[in-house]
Amino acid sequence: TVCDFIFRLKGILEFACQLDNPNGVQSQSTISKSFQDLRSKVTSKNIVFTVCNSPVLIWPNTGFQSSVESLTEASACGDILQWIESDDGGSKKSSKKKDKKKSGPTVVNMKLLFEVTEPAGNTAPSLIRVSTQQHCVKMPLPLDCALSVTTDERLETVCTGLVEALNKQLADMEEVVLQYRKGSSFLVPQPFHFQLPEPAGLITVVYPAGVPDSQLQAVREDLHRKFELPCDRPYLRRANAFHFPDAAYKDGYLRNPHIHLNPPNIEDAKLYLVQGVYSYHHYMQDHVDDNGWGCAYRSLQTICSWFQQQGYVETAVPTHTQIQQALVDVGDKEPRFVGSRQWIGSIEVQAVLNQLLGVTSKIMFVSQGSELATKGRELANHFQTEGTPVMIGGGVLAHTILGVVWSENTGQIRFLILDPHYTGGEDLQTITDKGWCGWKGPEFWDQNAYYNLCLPQRPKTI
Amino acid sequence: MGRSYFVDEAVGEYLSGLQAAPGSCVTGLLAGQSSPQRDFVVLAVQTPHRESEGQLKAPKGVSPLDDIDVEWVTEHAKQVSRMLPGGLCVLGLFLVTPPELSKDAQNGLKRLIFAVEKYIIKGRLWELSEEDVTDRVTLHICSKTKKLLCKTFDVKDPKSSAKPADWKYQTGISSSWPMLTCSVEVDLQIPVTGSSSDNTDKCMKDGLRRWAKQIEAAYCLINGRQALDDSELISGQKKNPKTTNRQTLPARIFVSDEQSELGERSSALVQVCSGSMRVRGVVHCRAYIHNNKPKARHAAQAIKRDIINTVCSRVEMFLEDLCINEGSQKGLCSGQQALPRRVFAPMPISGLSVCDYMFPDESTADVAERLKEMLDCETPEEDIDTSLENNQLFSIISGFEITDSQDDDSSKHVSEIQAENHKIQKPPKYYAVGSGRYSSFMCGPCSSHCSPCHSHISTVFQLMEKAKMFV
Repeated sequence: TVCDFIFRLKGILEFACQLDNPNGVQSQSTISKSFQDLRSKVTSKNIVFTVCNSPVLIWPNTGFQSSVESLTEASACGDILQWIESDDGGSKKSSKKKDKKKSGPTVVNMKLLFEVTEPAGNTAPSLIRVSTQQHCVKMPLPLDCALSVTTDERLETVCTGLVEALNKQLADMEEVVLQYRKGSSFLVPQPFHFQLPEPAGLITVVYPAGVPDSQLQAVREDLHRKFELPCDRPYLRRANAFHFPDAAYKDGYLRNPHIHLNPPNIEDAKLYLVQGVYSYHHYMQDHVDDNGWGCAYRSLQTICSWFQQQGYVETAVPTHTQIQQALVDVGDKEPRFVGSRQWIGSIEVQAVLNQLLGVTSKIMFVSQGSELATKGRELANHFQTEGTPVMIGGGVLAHTILGVVWSENTGQIRFLILDPHYTGGEDLQTITDKGWCGWKGPEFWDQNAYYNLCLPQRPKTI
Repeated sequence: MGRSYFVDEAVGEYLSGLQAAPGSCVTGLLAGQSSPQRDFVVLAVQTPHRESEGQLKAPKGVSPLDDIDVEWVTEHAKQVSRMLPGGLCVLGLFLVTPPELSKDAQNGLKRLIFAVEKYIIKGRLWELSEEDVTDRVTLHICSKTKKLLCKTFDVKDPKSSAKPADWKYQTGISSSWPMLTCSVEVDLQIPVTGSSSDNTDKCMKDGLRRWAKQIEAAYCLINGRQALDDSELISGQKKNPKTTNRQTLPARIFVSDEQSELGERSSALVQVCSGSMRVRGVVHCRAYIHNNKPKARHAAQAIKRDIINTVCSRVEMFLEDLCINEGSQKGLCSGQQALPRRVFAPMPISGLSVCDYMFPDESTADVAERLKEMLDCETPEEDIDTSLENNQLFSIISGFEITDSQDDDSSKHVSEIQAENHKIQKPPKYYAVGSGRYSSFMCGPCSSHCSPCHSHISTVFQLMEKAKMFV
């Protein structure tokens, strides 16, 4: 079943406890007691969900009450949309033509609040003073729960589900806090959402802040076993966290512009595409004027962005200078190469991927551009097994191949090309309309030039 | 363009009725509400007579103006501020002088108004926003001609000069001002670092300030509607100043634990404390808003400020009292003590209410006396409403009967200490009906929802005396 909605509930709950002796035996039960109190808090009548950008308030633990008369426990969760003011004006309209085929589920953002009015009793306040030496611990818990549902699911069920999710998340957080605590040093438990293959779907894992992915290998191995995930590729590194459709990417680069294109309709042919997420790197970005010489560098950047976003590396996408320095470091170039405007080719791309990312690549050589039409099987296999973007360099140009449509029977082939020679801004409409990301036929290649292709290989790791 | 002050007729009557001894001055406060377009004055109170500590102070100054006890005027202003519910505040001062002092009166008023403002805002847990009116009114009255001279000063700017303002009398200014109400549950756990009593005060202030920010940032519903934007509080209401109905609008407040200072931490904040303080209970809050097209968010701001003020005031009062009683021992003692509880009384003339705080050992007679002294009005004791916040006395005694004690470290300490110090016997099970939190007691004899209820309170006290629960 395709889920139409993701209800996302976020809120901060302050964890507080007083420890007489942080290293004592009692401290664990004191910590657990505090978590127990927080779990009581989220199941109490005082919790309220507010739907962002709307006047809707829901009391989920009072047999479902809402601040809006027409939303009752029988309401379908989709009914909530009419109350939400969308705050984006232009951006959604401009891409109306290039319809978002894969725009994904609608995200409904909610915030967790606590009512302090309408108390159970009326007793005026007292002041209670305690004079024993204690360690006072305070920590904000960044709660973040997400539920995938279909549009006809009842709103009440969604809210009950969210309360359960809060409870479970607090239990997971307690586990993480206790596991990583050293005396009175507590690490903040942080939730991450991951979209796993069905039937698991959207899950949430709590990781301790500040502990790098490299030290959480054992945790991931357990989870891979639990969810029956392949053991050779990352699904649960922080970089793999689910990107909510309504969230913008802060760095400003376009992600996967190819999803807005319709693949060519070739009889009997199958589609083989890059897997996962990459950023589109091209001429003139980052205030670097590399017009005329930087195309292979940009293709390399696109490939690096892929490895970063799939969770294989934590390093940032390298700059032209860093790429050049890497080549000097491996002895491939003289020191004066750094700062120059010299071209690089597939071999250099392979060397840099190895040096900076620890990624190996296969090189494919064709002596004539016309031969590329016969490489359908190799490319199809590559996209199926590795699914990484391919850098192709030949003659005087470099490009990135993101996929092929290929017929095993007829041999017909089309190439999905991401062109690094684009010099404009991050305008999806222009990039797709003008073919800077587009499907090309075999005639796209210089029929007489020779080409080298760099096919990066996924490291076998989780 | 000066400000316009719309003043209740009754205030005018009060002012004309003031008697000044020949050659001397009378000072007093003016209270009401300011809004961006106009201001409303609903109360005038002369500065009460100060009982000097034995010796009569010889007039030290050249003129009676110099004899004005600035400290006393500001203290009076602070006390009166504590008695005003949300939305109302001390808006200015009046000064009655004989004709020969009228010229110098302006300087006197300016000095006073800045001193008053400075003293009132000390210790306040919320800041004035850009929209708040910072003009305060000074009214000079000539004791012979009864002529009024009304000016304003901007208290944000110490160099500001007097600006002219209008003073207009009207009847029933506040008769149909809506009243916002709510009861707010407070449960603040405040760590205490260090051991001096100054530390205690500072920690308490810091803890309250953090809580106050939460309240200020809280989501607010007034009468069931969101109160954040510029929408009108009461839409579709026919503006009819003659209506005597005062609407009561319930407010609901929703907080989140978001604290910007704890924001992006990756580890917990740990402090080594010498102890902790907990403020726990329910406060009843009120605020008034003028009915000249008030905005929903101003109403929300008024009730939130009342919530913050009422908790802050009673803690301040309690700590001041403690200083007198415990002296240097303060901060080193443990125990559970009742904070003064809030009671309401009708304000002279205007129909709005004022409030006061009653310590556990006080009665409505004490409240009436204070109202007479601070607000210059007689209030029959039966008009003082003590029902809005329940007495904590009963709960404290039964405190250790309650399941709270096994969970909560703090009340466990308390019960042990109390048992040691007072040898209080366990109260009969009869009264300890409750579900853990002492605020949800029921009256044992009749199970009504207050503990004990008014009909049974004397019976209960007799039984408690018999059980030797009072030392």
